[in-house]
Amino acid sequence: MNQRIRLLTVALIVLFAVLFVQLTTWQVIRRDGLVSDSRNNRVSLREFDARRGAIVAADGTVVAATEKIDAGNSTSRFGYQRVYPKGDLYAHITGHYTLGFGRTQIERTYNDVLVGKTAQQQLEGAGDLFSRTDTTGSVHLTIDSRIQQMAKEALGAREGSVVVVNPLTGAVLAMYSNPSYDPNLVASHNGNSVNTVMTQLQADTRKPLLANSYQERYMPGSTMKIVTTAVGFDTGFLTMKRVFANERQWLPPNTTKPIRNYGQRECGGDILEVFRRSCNIPFAQVAVEIGPSVMVDGANRFGFDERVPFDLPAPAASTFGGLAKDFSDSLALLAIHGFGQGGVQVTPLHMALITSSVANGGRMMRPFVVQQTRTQSGTPISTTSPSVWKTTMSPTTALTLSTLMKEVVRNGTATCCFRLANGVVGAAKTGTAQLNPEGEPERSHAWITAFAPADAPRVAIAVFIKGVDDEVSASTGGRLAGPIAAQVLNTALSVQK
Amino acid sequence: MASDTVAKTRRGTELGLVLFSGMITAIAYVLASLGEESSMPARIVPFMIFVVSLVGVAHIAVRLVARGADPLLLPTAAFLHGLGYVMIARLSDRWAALQATWSLVGIAAFIATLFVVERTGDLRRYQYTSLAAGVGLLLLPMVPGVGFTSGGARIWVNIGPINFQPGEFAKILLAIFFAAYLAERRDLLWQEGRRFAGIQLPEMRHLAPILVAWGASVIVMVGQRDLGSSLLFFTLFVVMVWVATERTSFLVGGMVLFAAGAFGAYHMFSHVRTRVDIWLNPWDQYTGRGYQPIQALFSLANGGMTGTGLGLGEPGAVPAAHNDFIFAALGEELGLIGAAAILSAFVLLVGAGMRTALRAQRDFEKLLATGLTTIVAVQTFIIVGGVLRVVPLTGVTLPFMSYGGSSLVANYVLLALLIRMSDSTARGLHEVPDSPSVTERVATWRLQRAAR
Repeated sequence: MNQRIRLLTVALIVLFAVLFVQLTTWQVIRRDGLVSDSRNNRVSLREFDARRGAIVAADGTVVAATEKIDAGNSTSRFGYQRVYPKGDLYAHITGHYTLGFGRTQIERTYNDVLVGKTAQQQLEGAGDLFSRTDTTGSVHLTIDSRIQQMAKEALGAREGSVVVVNPLTGAVLAMYSNPSYDPNLVASHNGNSVNTVMTQLQADTRKPLLANSYQERYMPGSTMKIVTTAVGFDTGFLTMKRVFANERQWLPPNTTKPIRNYGQRECGGDILEVFRRSCNIPFAQVAVEIGPSVMVDGANRFGFDERVPFDLPAPAASTFGGLAKDFSDSLALLAIHGFGQGGVQVTPLHMALITSSVANGGRMMRPFVVQQTRTQSGTPISTTSPSVWKTTMSPTTALTLSTLMKEVVRNGTATCCFRLANGVVGAAKTGTAQLNPEGEPERSHAWITAFAPADAPRVAIAVFIKGVDDEVSASTGGRLAGPIAAQVLNTALSVQK
Repeated sequence: MASDTVAKTRRGTELGLVLFSGMITAIAYVLASLGEESSMPARIVPFMIFVVSLVGVAHIAVRLVARGADPLLLPTAAFLHGLGYVMIARLSDRWAALQATWSLVGIAAFIATLFVVERTGDLRRYQYTSLAAGVGLLLLPMVPGVGFTSGGARIWVNIGPINFQPGEFAKILLAIFFAAYLAERRDLLWQEGRRFAGIQLPEMRHLAPILVAWGASVIVMVGQRDLGSSLLFFTLFVVMVWVATERTSFLVGGMVLFAAGAFGAYHMFSHVRTRVDIWLNPWDQYTGRGYQPIQALFSLANGGMTGTGLGLGEPGAVPAAHNDFIFAALGEELGLIGAAAILSAFVLLVGAGMRTALRAQRDFEKLLATGLTTIVAVQTFIIVGGVLRVVPLTGVTLPFMSYGGSSLVANYVLLALLIRMSDSTARGLHEVPDSPSVTERVATWRLQRAAR
């Protein structure tokens, strides 16, 4: 029997050898394929079940944090819960961090910092080899919670966006759009309820999951006249002495459809006059005079047809609505785009940047919401330093535009409804983008973009109200958007000394 | 002379190894807690006292009644048991508390077996009792009102407050029966028989009890849907018959029977087809039945060569990681190096068991040691091979490591029997003095008192 027992032992050891070989196959030879398999969520699961750094507003308000779950009365299999103390206020900036629906915005782009995977954080935690040291980092925003809160309150129930920028640095001080959503509802560990909420949000045609403030673009209306005017002055087609004829309508080249002013009124005079009253015909004429290639080049100097280099993901690119070639074929189109109708589309963030460049002597700064990232011990990992993105116009032109925009506030389309506190003088441009076809009830997007104080600008703003129904129209736009901008700017000026 | 004898018993080696495996357990426990919570385990001192007293008491019992035993058997089992417990504790506090209780019961069963089975040779007297009890236990889960189904297999029995898997104990009883029966008739089985087509056939009446056992394994497969145990019983009986008769024809015949059985089962039973299908194409059904085996592969891959470190992986992502899939959890956190160490420990255990069989002087003990060791080896292969996709996955426990009371207790009983046989061989070979057993001492004392 002993011989058989020996044989049996050998056979059993061979079986174990097979296990060794197969174990090596999975753990070493085929490892990379398995680890990188999209269905393998080990790494993200591990991250999910761990501490995660906070996202903090410029004034210290915590807008995203991780709480330890009390194991005693919890049904979750995880030890930590991501919370967003301010609900929907920062949803489009922080984004969300979910188990089943991934992560968005800062939760996505700054994931390495938040979980502690950057080289610097790893080095800081390297002292403790066997345990999970808290190496998480924090992300510090340029957003001031008081301005952000005011932006939300001022906008109220209206659909739209408010973006406040420091024109000198590009730091975004507030950025809110309605509708938003509560990231707490999708960060929950209850899969069923998250599914329900997510399905609703995704089905919502108002796109609450998108940051409409910079991921959606809208027809800018008369606010676009800032661009046309700047290009006109820079190229010499426009001077302060230029006088436009008093006209009710004007027929651009090769079309039979005349261009009219708002309300089919007669409108004309020098540039100060037509800018403060926001006549349409003069800017259509200037655009046509400048010509397709120079006008498109000029728009591109403002960053049109280009994604804004923002530190949040997937910014939309504003568009001037065509290439030089397209406009050569149809100068009528160029005329319409000259005053911001037709195919021109701008994101609210970009509009704030356009105004900022006027306030900043023609330099458009690269916008950013993340001021700094820090390790657990507070050592900075990265700090954003301001940089110029575009030179949109000459300093002289910028100064001219400031004068024009001041006049809009002093005695123009914004006088009615844009008054700043403490006697601060602002500079602004209003805009309504007509959405309804001729003969139907009026419906428009309403815009106002402004900076203040006019002579030493510290803050710039763009307010956009979506033309969802005839309640928002060319006749009401200024009255709706102006007070919102004034209210938010007042707060911004009081906290941004 | 005395010092020679002490050296021969190698109890000191066992003590050292037992304490070493206790130390590994305690260190692993601390590391798992550090990894998971970044803090020392709250009850580390009571835990260490618990571990050391458990293995210490087991060692003292061996020292008292089986001092000639192989010094590798107990420490290897303690090592596997300890690492398994650490992994269970790392996965869930609730299971850990239950498993701690079962560990206590397991060690108690180990000691009890050592004391009760004083002479392993005596077990052969209970040959048919073992057969009846073994088959009875196997069939128990199919009795209405007592047996119940859990996890797709009807292998559970509920009596009063206790749930257990009688199959875990049945395998030991059947091994005892096979060993006794074959030791008695190994010559008859092949010397008297007819020749058929050039093959010597044993006489039918000698074969009958073996066929009963084979039938039981078929019933287990069909009636209880427990493919793993069925495969285990079948291998056990083919191997033991082959070793006993030294007839290759039995081995070949067994393999043919197995092939036929497997083929038939594949075509007759959908649950067998399902298992094979998951084994071959798990990726096609990732969202369904393939989820668990693929998650196990992800776990292993996540561990890689050196592992994530205890408490630092995500073994909880594999369903039933504490039970059938504990090897994947260990592979993730300890890596190829750790998993290979665990497999090596099993090889060591199997080697020590087989050495016991080789050294044994009597046929019964030779066969029983072979059978019991085969159970441990094949069961390990079935479940680890299932996790690693070497064979279709069938739910059996990983000896000493998986969560589960019945399995742990049964394996400790099995270990005690191996230690007992190892010890009796040493006595038989006069490596240690064959001192009288406790019962014999009591009997002698009584006789002396009566004579006075």
